[in-house]
Amino acid sequence: MTIEKIDLDLCTGCGICIDSCPMDVIRMDRAGQKAVIRYPQECMNCEQCALDCPEEAVTVTPYKTVPLISSWG
Amino acid sequence: MSRGTSQVRRSFEADVLVVGGGLAGCTAAIKARQTGASVILVDKGFAGKSGQTPFAGSYCVFNPEWGDDLDAWMEQVSSIGESVNDRVWTELCFRESYERYLELLSWGVRFGADGDARAGVEPQRDGPPVGPCKAAMMETRAPSMTLRRQVLKHGATIVDRTMIVELLTSGGQVVGAAGIPADAEDAVDIFTAKAVVLAAGAGGFRPGRWPIDNLTSDADCMAYRVGAEITGKEFADPHHARLDQAASVMFGRYGRDPEGGGPPRGRFLDSDGHPLPPMGVLDLDLDRAVHAGHGPLFIEMPDGVRWPMVGGAAGGMSVHKAEGIRPAGTDCSCNVAGLYAAGDSLGTMQSGATYAAIGQSVLGCSVTGAHAGAGAAAYAARAGGPAHPAGADVERAAEAITAPLRRSGGFGPRWVTQMLQNTVLPYYVLHIKHGDRLRAALANVEFFRDHLVPKLYATDQHELRLVHETRNMVLNAEMRLRASLFRTETRGCHYREDFPVRDDGQWLAWVILRRAGDGMELFKRPVSAEHRPLTAGGVQ
Repeated sequence: MTIEKIDLDLCTGCGICIDSCPMDVIRMDRAGQKAVIRYPQECMNCEQCALDCPEEAVTVTPYKTVPLISSWG
Repeated sequence: MSRGTSQVRRSFEADVLVVGGGLAGCTAAIKARQTGASVILVDKGFAGKSGQTPFAGSYCVFNPEWGDDLDAWMEQVSSIGESVNDRVWTELCFRESYERYLELLSWGVRFGADGDARAGVEPQRDGPPVGPCKAAMMETRAPSMTLRRQVLKHGATIVDRTMIVELLTSGGQVVGAAGIPADAEDAVDIFTAKAVVLAAGAGGFRPGRWPIDNLTSDADCMAYRVGAEITGKEFADPHHARLDQAASVMFGRYGRDPEGGGPPRGRFLDSDGHPLPPMGVLDLDLDRAVHAGHGPLFIEMPDGVRWPMVGGAAGGMSVHKAEGIRPAGTDCSCNVAGLYAAGDSLGTMQSGATYAAIGQSVLGCSVTGAHAGAGAAAYAARAGGPAHPAGADVERAAEAITAPLRRSGGFGPRWVTQMLQNTVLPYYVLHIKHGDRLRAALANVEFFRDHLVPKLYATDQHELRLVHETRNMVLNAEMRLRASLFRTETRGCHYREDFPVRDDGQWLAWVILRRAGDGMELFKRPVSAEHRPLTAGGVQ
């Protein structure tokens, strides 16, 4: 589904993907060293993070699942 | 940075505040700076890469020296846009398109399939075979950083990753805005400005099939809340998308024909393999085919490959430049002093009731961005000293904006968004419309507005953004439903099953929405007499 993975071996922590994401899905880890997928629910598959990553560390698939409908939440 | 009672508080001040960093917002910031005004550009994401600008691919450019005939281009738009285009804006955009095109070239934006168009030389232009209007193909994605560099080069300040939530007013005029930065918990940013340009795009209901989930009608909604007139909410954008690729913009990555630029090619087939009309009134014919029981639908590419389609890719959005803040003049001001708008936040009705020519939207962003930037800077120069919002008003705004963080329970924004989607995204609500179904959906949306939205809670600053986006989407839904009920005819991308005929006698007019106390009032603004079609006067 959507953003699947940021390869931490390839990620240099440059933060470009964080700026590229219009949905605030990606944040820097606590140590400020690597990008992490923090809010995957908001990924809209625009692929800008994957296209902009200079290390090709981000994997995005073209599929998106939606959560089951619940009566409250 | 100063610290409030419990909040991180940053304060900024400029002559002109521009909200939104797509093509329109970046152009507005540059144009305001060129007059000498101090400018802050604030963006919910990252200025330059904002909104739909990364996915823009065509720019309508008119030039008599290339043999273009203004009357013929105007006729194409009026005819396809069903005579509710605002001809002042349609013509203004065409006339200024070449100047803006040259400027974009000078900034480093590239056109043409090979990206090497030279100033003054006709670039590769294309367009569907519906009339003379043509567009130059733009290099997708690349203009984003080009525009950002130009904003910085011209000396504007950029504040990224802050969502503007409310406009601040004093004495009936807009004097700034308040927003929430993504990267600090329980934080509020306060901007003081002599004029504000809203260029935060249009918005949808997070349809998930078009890369507009970040656009939630923030500009329309905050402008509406301070009394601005809003228009065009009934003209739904019924674009489709590939079922197997979310946010694929119809035909693969960013909408380009994989065989080298230009609009996508292909033909639509119904479930029996019968061809459907090519595009029709945008894609409403696809919704009609599904409504008649002929779904699922497919697109067949020239090589014979068939992809399953889904509708409602841009659900919750109008035809570009139809919806938005109603301009009071070509300076992109509106009926609220100090407030300007540009791009998809400004309802110029440049194209009318449907898309009338390829590339008009990007052109409109460029032209209105330039006009709004200059207009806001001129207003700021006349305004003299800054009119600061009252301290108590700032405190009230900050408290209200962050209140969902202090709610111990209630409803989560993701769930309320999902309930809204279930209510208004199905094709039979806002595409194939009927008064009964519109009223049923409106009853639900009013419940969301009155019972769910006031109880939205957020567990962190990211969810606080979701709360405010959800609140805006609910208001956008109410606007769309009321405007759709109000226009008792069929025109362009507004199709009423119970009023299936275009009625020029009653509806050569724009629907305007305005806040009236706690309610929403609607009224018509007629298309000016000299701009009515020769065939007007009765039912067609």
